Amino acid sequence: MREKIVRELESIVGAEWVVSAEEAVEGYLYDETPIPVRPEASSDVIVVKPGSAEEVSRILVLANKHGVPVFPRGGGTGLAGACIPTVSGIILSLERMNKIIVDVDNLMAEAEAGATLRDLIDAADKAGLSFPLHPGDEGAQIGGLIACNAGGARAIKTGVMRSCIKGLELVLPTGEIIRLGGKVLKNNVGYDLMHLVIGSEGTLGIITRAWIRLQPRSAASATIVIPFERREDALKIVPEIFRRGIIPLAVEYVERVLVERVGSNLGLKWPCTSAEYQLIVILSENSEDALLGALESLLELCNSSGALEPVVAETRKEQDEILRIRSEIYSILKPDMVDILDVSVPPASLIDLIRTVNELEIRYRVYMPVYGHAGDGNLHIHLMKWDGWTKEKYDELRDAIYAKAIELGGTITGEHGIGFIRRKYLERVLDRRTIELMRAIKRIFDPNNIINPDKVFP
Amino acid sequence: MRLGLRIIVLIKQVPDIEKVRFDVETGRIDRSSAPAETNPFDLHALEAGLQIKEKLGGSVTVISMSPRQAESSLKDALARGADRAILLTDTRLAGADTIATAKALAAAIRKLGEFDLILCGEKTVDGDTGQVGPEVAELLGIPHAAYVCEIREITHEWIKVVSDMGDKYLYELKLPALLTVTRELNSPRLPTLKDLLRAKRSQVEVWTADDLSEYVPLDQLGFQGSKTRVVKVVIPSTEHRRGIMLRGDEAVEKIGMIILSEVLGK
Repeated sequence: MREKIVRELESIVGAEWVVSAEEAVEGYLYDETPIPVRPEASSDVIVVKPGSAEEVSRILVLANKHGVPVFPRGGGTGLAGACIPTVSGIILSLERMNKIIVDVDNLMAEAEAGATLRDLIDAADKAGLSFPLHPGDEGAQIGGLIACNAGGARAIKTGVMRSCIKGLELVLPTGEIIRLGGKVLKNNVGYDLMHLVIGSEGTLGIITRAWIRLQPRSAASATIVIPFERREDALKIVPEIFRRGIIPLAVEYVERVLVERVGSNLGLKWPCTSAEYQLIVILSENSEDALLGALESLLELCNSSGALEPVVAETRKEQDEILRIRSEIYSILKPDMVDILDVSVPPASLIDLIRTVNELEIRYRVYMPVYGHAGDGNLHIHLMKWDGWTKEKYDELRDAIYAKAIELGGTITGEHGIGFIRRKYLERVLDRRTIELMRAIKRIFDPNNIINPDKVFP
Repeated sequence: MRLGLRIIVLIKQVPDIEKVRFDVETGRIDRSSAPAETNPFDLHALEAGLQIKEKLGGSVTVISMSPRQAESSLKDALARGADRAILLTDTRLAGADTIATAKALAAAIRKLGEFDLILCGEKTVDGDTGQVGPEVAELLGIPHAAYVCEIREITHEWIKVVSDMGDKYLYELKLPALLTVTRELNSPRLPTLKDLLRAKRSQVEVWTADDLSEYVPLDQLGFQGSKTRVVKVVIPSTEHRRGIMLRGDEAVEKIGMIILSEVLGK
């Protein structure tokens, strides 16, 4: 049977784009999910690399005919195990479909699903425009970023991935190719299936192409690092920033012990040495004057809110270094990590969330490294490998943090998604009827449960 | 009893070299294609000056010869802790080669009066010559060390440095002296937000060619005083390694062809 499917796949995409040797598929089995929580991948898989939506369609028809599961795969940078093949089947990698065309007049990029975030940033830059978001690892692919509705640091001004997407080309699990939306900015025809697909984590179809709204480049930017003595103080001023009319590109919370460790690994010096808990504020304005105004307003706020002396980077290199260090925190923690939590609360409730984290640290006598997108109310709290800890104890701690987030009107995942690892918590956040509706939608799109089974639903 | 060191840092504003576009036809840099910023090496020179000032006391004066827009780089230097900033700007200074630039800077330094130490970046990322610093030292008749990657010791009378000229050399220089410094020397500090805003609101001193006339004949400055001319700019083309996938019999044939063409080609 396996041999037959390999041959049929080869007849669709060509022999060189079907990979079935065990050592060759190894690199396609996992993503960036911490090892202690990720599921075991089946290595009885065939990797297929289609070159067009038509080839994707034929692969899905084939999979339905034989009842073989299909696991869509982008850059493999996910953190919830959404692309891991939990049973034997076909891994559908979009990597060959990586073209991007920029329509400057409409500020729109038409990108194939396998193009990477880096490709999109470069294509926008070459056209004199910018892609405002920075949803994490630049090796992430467009299809995955959309399927997982990625967020990242720069989601404050423009919103998460969802808000940049204006159209999708989608291959349904049953093989039909449909187009939802396009370059049009306003569109009120029928139910908005496009937004249903965005964030569906590869369970409703294969995204093969997207129309992505770009922006003009900003004229002036600065990155400010503001130090605080206590976690609460750092998070308390976040809502104040917005109330003052400052809308930064990003407001990130970091802890000095982490960024200094990353810095020394990268051969870079973290520029702010004065206190343990710090906010990174990235301002991006249309003129030097506007930037100056925002900086002045921010300094006033710092002076009146218990911040220590903020420092500011204006050169591109110095700003890039700060963001680079921030982006690499996950990599240095990963080897000693059990889980990265992704709770999200109303921004003004961050202070209540962090108080609970502080209390739990005292009660359990551990340090939970925290960083994340404070401006969005989305923090990554880390459970690390602590001596003598059992799975039950980790579950207990995780449960306590999830319970607090939900109590505050928040949610258990702001951007990483449910994927595989959070399925059992779905019922904690959504009521039964809502989950039923979601399951019914999945059945309509994918009657044979071919695409990404074992994901999202418990 | 001396009151600390009088330190001068020479800086230049350059286009962001990783972003800037180059017009191959005319050999000109399209300055509108990238934002201007302080030459990255010069930030290390400034940092060295600030650290010495913190250790021995004194003052740091920053000088730049540039069009008016370079004021922003001088204000950035003030924000990082420089005490005084001077912009030499005049159409009569424009189009200067390295020697004409060095003469203008040396004249400005003479006009400032006594000094103990001059610091520059090892080179600018747009010109890439590394000549201006040492030329200034020669014009002022003081010793210099280039490519300084470490300052071992400094007193009010002398400085001991490691110069990286491929091999490393340890130099002791009598002050006043001039150093050009590498990126390895230190990590430039960021300005505090407070200092940055104060600097942005401040004025930098502006000197014209007339301010220098007492110290250098004006016909030795700018385009007129330049002994070199840019005749042509050539950007070497970059050859990238290419991978070719070959399979089966076709591969044997193709490899044979490649080897043959190489042999016959020679």
